Amino acid sequence: MSLLEVQDVTVRFGGIVALDGLSFDIEEGHICGLIGPNGAGKTTMFNVVSRIYQPARGSVRFRGEELLEVPAHGIASLGIARTFQNLALFPTMTLLENVMVGAHSQGRIGFGRAISRLGAARDNRRTRDNAGDLLNQLGLGALAFRAAAGLPFGTLKRLEIARALAARPKFLLMDEPAAGLPHGEVDGLAETIRGIRDQFDLTVLLVEHHMSMVMGISDRVVVMEFGRKIGDGTPAEIQNDQRVIDAYLGAPA
Amino acid sequence: MKPLISIKSGGPASWAIRIACALAVGYILLWIPTRGSNSLIDTATTALTLMGAALSLNLLLGFTGQISLGHSAFFGIGTYTTAIFVTRWGWSPLKTLPVAFVVAFVVGAVVSLPALRIKGVYLALVTLALGVVFPQFIKWPKIAWLTGGARGLNDTGFKFDKNNRTYEIFGWNPWGNLRGENVKPFYFWIGIGIVAIIYLICRGLVKSRVGRSLIAIRDNSTAAAVMGVNLAVTKGIVFGLSAAMCALPGCLTAMKGSVVTPDTALLTVVGSITFLIVMVVGGAGSLWGPIIGAVVFELITEKTSDWVDPDKIPSLIRPIFSWSDTAPAGGIFALALVVLMFVAPLGLVGLWKQTIARVVSVVPRPAGSGTLDAPESSAGGIPTWRPQQEPPAGDEAE
Ligand SMILES: Nc1ncnc2c1ncn2[C@@H]1O[C@H](COP(=O)(O)OP(=O)(O)O)[C@@H](O)[C@H]1O
Ligand SMILES: [Mg+2]
Repeated sequence: MSLLEVQDVTVRFGGIVALDGLSFDIEEGHICGLIGPNGAGKTTMFNVVSRIYQPARGSVRFRGEELLEVPAHGIASLGIARTFQNLALFPTMTLLENVMVGAHSQGRIGFGRAISRLGAARDNRRTRDNAGDLLNQLGLGALAFRAAAGLPFGTLKRLEIARALAARPKFLLMDEPAAGLPHGEVDGLAETIRGIRDQFDLTVLLVEHHMSMVMGISDRVVVMEFGRKIGDGTPAEIQNDQRVIDAYLGAPA
Repeated sequence: MKPLISIKSGGPASWAIRIACALAVGYILLWIPTRGSNSLIDTATTALTLMGAALSLNLLLGFTGQISLGHSAFFGIGTYTTAIFVTRWGWSPLKTLPVAFVVAFVVGAVVSLPALRIKGVYLALVTLALGVVFPQFIKWPKIAWLTGGARGLNDTGFKFDKNNRTYEIFGWNPWGNLRGENVKPFYFWIGIGIVAIIYLICRGLVKSRVGRSLIAIRDNSTAAAVMGVNLAVTKGIVFGLSAAMCALPGCLTAMKGSVVTPDTALLTVVGSITFLIVMVVGGAGSLWGPIIGAVVFELITEKTSDWVDPDKIPSLIRPIFSWSDTAPAGGIFALALVVLMFVAPLGLVGLWKQTIARVVSVVPRPAGSGTLDAPESSAGGIPTWRPQQEPPAGDEAE
């Protein structure tokens, strides 16, 4: 069974049809690339899975469960985490605290136990240590106690990955993680993505414009244009698909 | 520039500082009711009232980012709950505190229902309406049998009589003379109790998973929801809790004064604005902000209360305030607010932290099983991603 099954999803914004009957599946354990020109609807697809946008039609199943019946705050505890294309961090918090909030769905301390301090200190210590480990792993340990506001874009994109991992997800959606990185660091990022996939048993949906990276690490690639799927296959198949070349890839350099 | 001194968080130096601060606070708290003048005790009790209200508002606005201009109504719910239960049903004033807490919690949670859908200036308007309506509601003739209408209620506080015991400790009388001869210290201690309860509730929340989720809602509510924060429930409980806590200092107002009317300043929108200013000047989103703010506010109010007479104003600043025919404390605070917003948007506490950070740096306890700076050999053997050089900020590739 596929981990995620997207079927006939349609999202409209006024007159704009952002997703137009989109369907595709993702296999467990895969890194699935999602590519397509700007405005194709990739980010919209992420927001449907996060339950930020409500589709007019369609179904999204995760391990057989209908996501469109789950509230937005219930998605994380199902094991789905994401990063944002334009960053959605907590600017006044330190990097460490940002990652600690990422573990929210893992915690048990509610209002009663927070006020009475029953187990709150232990919960804090554990959450903090896990967050610290994740920051170290992503090379952000030295910045742990800096506020997120004002740090370089590429650093913050990495922070988003650490924060997403804090939720111990099974399925990770990454929206353009290489944006803003100098060319030399893109290979390192690809290594990191493959590494976290193996370590945490992740399935990854990766939106990226960096073609060499997407083609290098994806097990499969889905191509979108105007809210529709126009191609779906292994990287090799996609690179030779005439329709995809015309719409997005252009002639090979 | 590097700070001169560095202190390890949780280390001996940091504990020494904490203990010194606690001793200083403890000394002041004992000195005021035993050695201070009556007017000082009064001023301190008023400061505690403002402190409680501003701390409550801070949880909602400072930490969660939800504005309320209706907290005077919750404050008033406390005042009237105590006044009504004491005068109509003869309850002991202290027993009305939990009742007021529950009533205000319910009202606050109900008010939060529209607040879940609206934000910013609209939320300000809805809660402002609550603050405006509250005194009118109390005056409503149909419920005057309960609230006393515009004339208010009398004898809403404690009844002291000659047979009460007094509690002397080595000739000290920290609680006051409960035979009714000098009861001011008694109210002071109730104020301390109320502020302590509110502070501990806020502190427990802020330093926990819940507190992180509140700040997350304030910073980016969409991202908070994606992390699993239930926005509706969290905002609803925080609104209710903030309202409930704000009712407690309201109760104190009824206990220590003998008359309660709907036109008491803190029960009108003036109260909401006062709580807001105290909180912002002290430092929004910091646990100690409202405490410092309330102390400073009361000190200024006290020092300038006789400035109605221009000759009493220090000559240096007389030209600025001599035109005013009321005491200029409000004006001074408004000016302070404007200045502060430029130099220290996080209030006096923010200013203090900025300043002290130049001299003392606090080294936080390292987080994680490894040390912070050794990502080479991270657990799990994942290739660590070392940036060769930080990219310039904001060069977002679309
Ligand atoms: N919140 C929104 N309101 C209106 N239009 C939107 C919104 N979000 C996305 N769109 C539109 O939907 C289309 C798809 O956008 P998006 O999903 O961001 O594309 P991509 O991520 O593939 O570049 C675009 O035409 C965009 O303008
Ligand atoms: Mg996008």
